[in-house]
Amino acid sequence: MKSFLPLNWGVEAGSRIARGRIWPAANTKGAIRTLEIYRYDPDAHSGPRLDVYHIDQNDCGPMVLDALIKIKNEIDPTLTFRRSCREGVCGSCSMNIGGRNWLACTQAMDDIDGPIRVFPLSHMRVVKDLVIDQSRLFDQHRLIQPWLRTEGPEPERERLQSPEERAELDGFYECILCFSCTGGCPSYWWNGDRYLGPAVLLNAYRWLVDSRDEATGERLDDLEDPFRLYRCHTIMNCTKTCPKGLEPAKAIAKIKAMLVARQQ
Amino acid sequence: MEKREERRHPRPLAPDLQTYRPTLTMTMSIMHRATGIALYAGFIGMAAWLAALAAGPQAHAAMQQVFTSWVGLPILIAFTWAILHHAFGGVRHLIWDLSIAHTYPWREYLTRATLIASLVCASLFWITLLWTGGHPS
Repeated sequence: MKSFLPLNWGVEAGSRIARGRIWPAANTKGAIRTLEIYRYDPDAHSGPRLDVYHIDQNDCGPMVLDALIKIKNEIDPTLTFRRSCREGVCGSCSMNIGGRNWLACTQAMDDIDGPIRVFPLSHMRVVKDLVIDQSRLFDQHRLIQPWLRTEGPEPERERLQSPEERAELDGFYECILCFSCTGGCPSYWWNGDRYLGPAVLLNAYRWLVDSRDEATGERLDDLEDPFRLYRCHTIMNCTKTCPKGLEPAKAIAKIKAMLVARQQ
Repeated sequence: MEKREERRHPRPLAPDLQTYRPTLTMTMSIMHRATGIALYAGFIGMAAWLAALAAGPQAHAAMQQVFTSWVGLPILIAFTWAILHHAFGGVRHLIWDLSIAHTYPWREYLTRATLIASLVCASLFWITLLWTGGHPS
C-alpha cells in the first residue's frame, strides 16, 4: 500500500507536484535503479516537480544517500540536499523515502521495492529540492530550554549522577534532531504551529528526568498546555519512523504521567 | 547591506498523507476518530429508540420496525462494532499511556488485538442475539 491518497490530493496550488524531467540512464552497465526525486527551485517561476533518475546500481554504494551523491556528481549537479556524516549520527539527511521518514544514509536501497520515491520531510516548507526550512523546529526546540537549569552557586566540581540516575536518560538522550518523527506526525501536520511535536517533547523529557536539573516544575508548567503537549494522540508514527530506534511516544506518555502524578 | 528581495512565492509545502505509507497504528487512530463521530449519530438513534419506548406501544412498534429492517439492522450492527472498536481503542491508549507496549512488535500486536477483539465481540454479540431471537432462555 503506497498511500491513502493521490499525489496532489487537496494540495494548495503552489505546492502541487508536476511531472518533471526524465533523465536517461547514462554510462550504465549493471542493474538500473530508478529514483523519483522531488525538485523545487525557488528561483524558477514554476512549482515543485518530480524528476526521474536512472542510476547504475552496480557502480553505487548501497544507501539512498550514495545514490543522491552519485546523481549530484554524475547526472545533475543542481540536485540539492543536506548531508554530512553519512553514518546516521548527524541527522542532516532526513527525508521521506519510500513513504516513511528516514535518514538517507542509513536507508538501504535494497530494502525498497520498485522505484525509490524521495520527498522532503513530510509537511515541511521547502527551501530547495530536499532541503526544508528548519527554523520553526529549532525555535520549538529552544522553547523547552534544552540545557541544564540550576539554582544557586556553581559547584566546585562536576555534578555527580549515580549509574541508576544516568540510566534514566537512556533512550532519550540519543536524539540527533533529524526531525523524522516530527515530520511523520499527523498531529504536527495539522497543528504544528502550536504543538511541539515528538522530537522536541522527547528532548523535553530528557531534561525532565535529568537528576541534576532543578527546573522540573517550571518545565512541566511550560508543557501543561492543550496544544504544546496534549495534541499527541498516540498515533505512533514517531516511534515507527525514528531512525535511531528511540520512542518519542513513550517520552510523551511519561511527561503526561508526570503531570498527573504532581497533581496528587 | 542590500535589502533582501521579497520572495515572489511562498515556500511550497512538502506532501504528507499523499506520500506517507499508511501504518496500522495511524489507520487505527483515524478509525478511532471515525467511530467516535459515528457514535454521535448512533446515540441520536438510541435516544430516538428510548423516546419511542416512552411514547407508547405504537411508537415503539414503529421504531422496532425501522431497526429490524434491512436498512436499520446493518446500521445497528455497525453501531455495535463502532462502540466496541472505540472502547477497545480507549483501552489501547490507556496501556500506551502507562508506557507499556511501545516497542516493536508489541505495539503492532496490541493494535491488531484491539481490532480483532472489536470484530470478534461484535460478531459474537450479534450471532448470539440472532440465534436466540433476542430471547435468551
